[in-house]
Amino acid sequence: MTMSNMLLFPILIPLVFATILMVFPKNVRMQRIVAAAGTLFTLIASLFLLVKVNNDGVQAITLGSWPAPFGISMVSDLLSVLLVISSSLITLFVVLYSFPSIGIKREQSFYYPAVLFLMTGVNGAFTTGDIFNLFVFVEVLLMASYTLIVHGGEKPQLRESIKYLLVNIISSALFVAAVAFLYSVTGTLNMADLAVKIPQIESTGILTVIAVLFLVVFGFKAAIFPLYFWLPGSYHAPPMPILALFGALLTKVGVYAIMRTYTLFFVMNTGFTHELLGIVAILTILAGCVGALAYFDVKKIIIYNIIIAVGVILFGVSQLNEAGVQGSVFYLIHDMLIKAALFFLVGIIAVLFGTTDLRKMGGLIKTYPVLGWVYLIAAFGLAGIPPLSGFPGKLLIVQGGFEGPQFWGSLVILATSLIVLLSVVRIFIYAFWGNPVETMPVTKTVYRQMFVPTVILVSFTVVLGVGAEFFMPLISGAGEVLLNPALYIDAVLKE
Amino acid sequence: MSFVFLIFLPILAALFVPLLFKKMRQIHTGWFVLIVPVILFVYYAMLVPTTSEGGQLVSSFQWIPSLDIAIVAYIDGLSLLFSLLITGIGALVVLYSIFYLDKNREQLHNFYVYLMMFMTAMLGVVQSDNLISLYFFWELTSISSFLLIGYWYTRDRSRFGALKSMMITVFGGLMMLGGFVLLGIMGNTYSIRELIAQAPEMASHSFFTWALILILLGAFTKSAQFPFYIWLPDAMEAPTPVSAYLHSATMVKAGLYLVARFTPIFAVSGTWMWLVAGVGLFTMFWGSFFALKQKDLKAILAFSTVSQLGLIMSLLGASAAGYHIGGAADTVFKYAAFAAIFHLINHATFKGSLFMVAGIVDHETGTRDIRKLGGLMGLMPITFTIAMIGSFSMAGLPPFNGFLSKEMFLTAMLSLTEFNLFSMDVWGVLFPVIAWIGSVFTFIYSFFFVFHTFAGKHKPDLLPKKAHEAPIGMLVSPAFLALLVLVIFFIPNQVGDWLIKPAVVAIQPFLYTAPADVNIHVSAWHGLQPEFWMTLGIFLVGGLLFWKLHKWQRAYDRFPDNFTLNRLYDNLMYLSDGGANRFSALYMTGFIRSYLVYMFSFLIIIVLGALVLNDAFSINLNNLAPVGFYEIVILLALIGSTVTILASKSRLTAIIALGAVGYSIALFFVIFRAPDLALTQLVIETISVALFLLAFYHLPQLSLKEERMKFKLGNAIIALGVGVTVTLVALSSHSQKALPSISQFYKETVYSEAGGGNIVNVILVDYRGFDTLFEIAVLGIAGIGIITMIKLRLSKKEGQHENQ
Repeated sequence: MTMSNMLLFPILIPLVFATILMVFPKNVRMQRIVAAAGTLFTLIASLFLLVKVNNDGVQAITLGSWPAPFGISMVSDLLSVLLVISSSLITLFVVLYSFPSIGIKREQSFYYPAVLFLMTGVNGAFTTGDIFNLFVFVEVLLMASYTLIVHGGEKPQLRESIKYLLVNIISSALFVAAVAFLYSVTGTLNMADLAVKIPQIESTGILTVIAVLFLVVFGFKAAIFPLYFWLPGSYHAPPMPILALFGALLTKVGVYAIMRTYTLFFVMNTGFTHELLGIVAILTILAGCVGALAYFDVKKIIIYNIIIAVGVILFGVSQLNEAGVQGSVFYLIHDMLIKAALFFLVGIIAVLFGTTDLRKMGGLIKTYPVLGWVYLIAAFGLAGIPPLSGFPGKLLIVQGGFEGPQFWGSLVILATSLIVLLSVVRIFIYAFWGNPVETMPVTKTVYRQMFVPTVILVSFTVVLGVGAEFFMPLISGAGEVLLNPALYIDAVLKE
Repeated sequence: MSFVFLIFLPILAALFVPLLFKKMRQIHTGWFVLIVPVILFVYYAMLVPTTSEGGQLVSSFQWIPSLDIAIVAYIDGLSLLFSLLITGIGALVVLYSIFYLDKNREQLHNFYVYLMMFMTAMLGVVQSDNLISLYFFWELTSISSFLLIGYWYTRDRSRFGALKSMMITVFGGLMMLGGFVLLGIMGNTYSIRELIAQAPEMASHSFFTWALILILLGAFTKSAQFPFYIWLPDAMEAPTPVSAYLHSATMVKAGLYLVARFTPIFAVSGTWMWLVAGVGLFTMFWGSFFALKQKDLKAILAFSTVSQLGLIMSLLGASAAGYHIGGAADTVFKYAAFAAIFHLINHATFKGSLFMVAGIVDHETGTRDIRKLGGLMGLMPITFTIAMIGSFSMAGLPPFNGFLSKEMFLTAMLSLTEFNLFSMDVWGVLFPVIAWIGSVFTFIYSFFFVFHTFAGKHKPDLLPKKAHEAPIGMLVSPAFLALLVLVIFFIPNQVGDWLIKPAVVAIQPFLYTAPADVNIHVSAWHGLQPEFWMTLGIFLVGGLLFWKLHKWQRAYDRFPDNFTLNRLYDNLMYLSDGGANRFSALYMTGFIRSYLVYMFSFLIIIVLGALVLNDAFSINLNNLAPVGFYEIVILLALIGSTVTILASKSRLTAIIALGAVGYSIALFFVIFRAPDLALTQLVIETISVALFLLAFYHLPQLSLKEERMKFKLGNAIIALGVGVTVTLVALSSHSQKALPSISQFYKETVYSEAGGGNIVNVILVDYRGFDTLFEIAVLGIAGIGIITMIKLRLSKKEGQHENQ
C-alpha cells in the first residue's frame, strides 16, 4: 500500500512550498516562480492521483500505521480527487492572474505563502476521512483566508475582516462542539467508521439533531440561507485575485462537507434532514437571486451568484438519487471553474473602467471585442445554457428533483436560471454595449497577462461542457461512491 | 450521407466571416454568406421527393451518450418543410441585406456571424429528434435573436428590446426544458420518435399534464402568443432583414413547430386542445385588433405577425380534434392540420415580402411612421405592387394564396362547433365567431398598411429623405416572394402534395400513415358554403370599417397605458433592480450585529426544532461524577466573572473578569485530573490577558452610551437561546452514548505500542500527530498574517496596477 501516500502530495506540496516561500519574501521574481511551480506540481500530483483512483478505486491511508478508526485516515475517492484537481487548477490560475494585478507590495508581503497555505487547507479538507481532522484543515484554510482578506490593510478590508473573523470563529466553536457531541454518541471520529456505526444506533433522534447542527456548522462555510449574510460584504473587500480564490474555493469546502456527511453517514433520518436541506437549498437560491439583481456592482453580482450555485448544488444532494447526486458533483466542479473565470473577467472589466459600478461603464465591445465574447460565453456557461459546462449538471439536478421528493424545487431551479442569466447579461449590456465610456490607460502587457489565464480558464469550462461525455465516467463514478458508502467504508476499514 | 453535419454548416461558415470582412472590404460580405443558404436549400429541395412519398431520413452523432444526449437530424415532411423555409427565406434575406446594410458603415462581420449562428440553431430546432439537443438549439435561437436585436447596441431601444426578447423566450425555453425532462422520465428516452411510440401509456402518468403545460410555455413564448407576445413588437429594433427572417418567417414559428411535433403525444388531452386552440385564437384576435393602434410600419407588421401566429396555433389546436373522432380522415375535422401548414407557408411568403417592403420604405424615405407616409404609389411603383400583393393575400383576397388558407381556417373553426368532447359543444361556437372578428380586423389593417403608405397625399416635407424607388437588388427578394404568393394560388395542390401533406402526416400519425392518405383537395371555389358567406362578410364589414377608419381609429388612444402587459414587464424589470435593491437593503444592513441575530436565531430555531420534533432530548444522570465543594465554588466564581464581564463599565474590569473565567476553567481541569490541559489553559489565559492589557492602551474608550432596552433585551434573548440550545444538545448527546468509544484502544495501546506514558501527549504527537502538524501550520500562518497586517497598509490607490 505504499502508493497510497500519493494522496498526501496535493496537501504536502503546497505546505512545503509555502514554507520555502517564507524564506525570501522580498524577492518578487523568486516568489512568483516558486509559487507557480508549487501550484503546478500540486496540480500534476493530483492528476496522477486521479489516474490512480480511477484505475484502482478509492485510495485510503491511515497515518502513523495505526489501524483505521484509531489513527487519522486520509481518503481519496473520485469526488475528493476531482475537487482537489479543480482547486489546484484554480489556485494555479489565480497565482498567474496575480502577477499583473495584485501589486508588488502585496507580493512582497507573504501573499503567495498565504495562497499556498490556503491551498493546503482546501486540499486537506477535500481529502480527509476524519471529522476532527476536517476541523483542523478548515482551520488551516480559515487562518490563511484571514491573512488574505486583510492583506494590504485597506480600510474596507480591515472593516470587513473583523466581521469575517467573528463569524468564522463562532462557526469554528460550533464545529468543535458538534464534533464532541457526535463523538459522545458514536464514540468515533473516523468518517468511514461513523458510516458503519451510525446505522447500528437505534435512537436516531439525537443523531438527527447533531446532523442538523453540522448542517449549521458547514452552512456557515457554504453560505446557505440564512447563514450567508457575512459573505457579500467580506468578499467584496479584498482585491480581485483573492476574491476569485475565495469565491471559487472556500464556500465549496462547506458544500463538500455537507455532501460528504449527508451521503456517507447522516442518512439515518433523511425524511427530516434531507428534506430540510432541500428547503434550505431552495431558500438559498432565492436569497442569492435577490442579491444578484439588487446591485449594480459587478463584484457583488458575481458574489451573489456564488450563493445561488451553493443552493443548486445542495438541492441536488438533498434528493439523494443518482441523477441529483451526479448533477451536484458536475455542477460543483463547473461552478468552481466558472466562478474563478467570471471573477477574472469582471476583474479585467473593473480595471479597464477603474470602477466596479455598472452604471459608469459602456461600449467596451468596440475596443475589446474578444473580451466581450469571452465574457458572454462565461455568462451563458454560468446560466447553464448548453453546450456549456453549467448545463449537464443542472439538467441532472432538475431531473433528480423531479424524480425525488421535491418536484417544485426543480421548477424553482429552472425559473431562477433566468435570474442568473439576467444578472450576468446585465453586465454584458451595461459594460459592453451602450455608448463607449472612456477607459483607463492599461498597457497591452498587463492586459494580456490578465486576459490569457482568463481565456484559458473559460476554455476549460467550455471543454467541460462540450466534452461532457469524456468527464461523465468520472462524475458518475464520484456519484456512485456517494450513493454506495460501502465502497468508501471498505477502502478505509479493510486494510 | 450524414446530413446532420449540414446543420452546422452555417456556423462553420461564420468562422470565416470576420476574415472575409477584413480582407475583402471591397466586396460586400453578404455575397460570400449567400452561398451557404443556397447550397443548403438546394440540398433540402432534393429531399422533397423522398418525404412526399412518406419517407424519413435519420442521421445522427452521439454527443453525451451517458446522458442520452445526441444530435439526431430527423427529416420527415414537417422538418423538411421548415428546413426549406429556413434556408429559402434565409437566402432571400441575405440577398436583401446586401443592399440594405451598407458595407462601409455597418459591422457586417458581427451581423452575418449572428445570422449564420441563427440559421444553424433554427435548422437544429426543426431537425432534432433528441429533446435535449432540441433545447440546445432552441436557446441558441434566443441568443442569436438577442444579439441581432441588439445589433445597434448604442441605441437604448435596441438594448431594451434585445433583453426583453431574451428574458421572455429563455424563460419559456427553461420551462420547456422542464417539460422535456419530465417526458424523459416518463418515457425513459429523450427521442421524440420513441416518445410518440409510447404516447398512449404516458397519458395516465402524473407528470403528463405538467409536461404539457411546461412545453406549451416554451411554444407560446417563442411564438409570441398572448400574453407573452409583448417581446415581438420591441424586437422590431433589429435591422429589417432580421425582422423579416427571425421575427416573422422562422424563429417565431419554432413554437408552432413544437406544437405540431408534439401533437401526436398530447392530442389525447383536452387541456392541450383548449389551451392551444383557445390561446391561439385569442392571440389572433388580440394581435389583429391592436395592429390598428400602431403608427410604425414594422409595429403594424409585428402585431400582424402575432395575430397570424395565433391563427396557425389555433389550427394546430383544432387538429387535435382528429384524434378523438373515429375516422376523422374523412370528416370535416381533417382540414385543421392541413390549413395550419398551408397558412404557415403562405404567411412566410406574404409577410416576408411585406417586411422587406417596410424596410425599403424606411430605407428610401428615412421613416416608418405611417402618419408621415402616403402617396408613395407613384414614386415607388414596384414596391407598391409588391406591398399590394402581400397585403391582399394577408387580407384573404383572391387571387392570392392567403385567400385559400383563410377559407380553410374558417372551415376548421366551423368544424369545432360540431365537436362534442371537452365541453366544446357548449363553447365551440365561440371559435368561428372570434375567428370572423379577427379576420375583419386583419382585413382592415392590411388595407391600412398598404393604402396609408402608398395612397393618399404625399407629404415630402415630413420625410427625412427624398423618396424614390429602391435599387433593383433590394427589390429582387420581395418581388420573388410576391410572385410565390401568386403562384401558390394557382397550384395549391402541387404544393400540397410536395410539402403540406407530408407535414400533416407527421402531425397526425393517428390518422394517416402516408401523405397519399391525406384526402384533401384545395379549390378556390366550393359553392355557397358557410365559409363563403363568412368571407363575403369579412370583405363587406372590413371594407366599410376601413372606409371610416379615420373616424374611429383615434379611439385606440383612449386605451389606458397603465394596465398593459408591457407595463407589467417593465414593472417586473424595475422590481428586479430597484425593488430587489430596496428589499435587499432591508436586511443587508452592513452591521455584523444584525447578521449575527439572523444566524443565531436560525441556529436556535432549527436545532431546538430538530430536538423537539425528533424527541431527542433526554437527561441521564447515572454516569456522572459526584459534585463536590470545590466544584461548586469554582462554578460560582465562573458565573460571577461571566456576569462581571457583561455588567462592567470599564474595559479593564472586563478583561480581568475574562481572565478569571479562563482560570476557573483551568481549575476544573485540575480537579478532573488533567494537568496538561490545565497548564495549557493557564498559559493561554495568562498570555491573552497580558496581550489584552498591552493593547488596551491603544483601544478607544468603551462607549458609555446606554443602549436601548429593546436592543439589549434582543441580545440577551439570543445569547440565552444559543446557550440553552447548545447545553440541551450537549446534555442529550452525553446521555445517549450509544456505542463504546475508540478511546479504549488508546488506553490499551498507549504503553505497549506507542511507548508513552501520558495518553494526551501520545494522542497529540502520535495517534493524531497529523492534526498537530497542521495546528502548528495554523500558528505559522497566523504569524505571517499578523506581520502583514502590521506592516502592509495600502491606500485604495497605490494597491492597484502599480506593476505597470
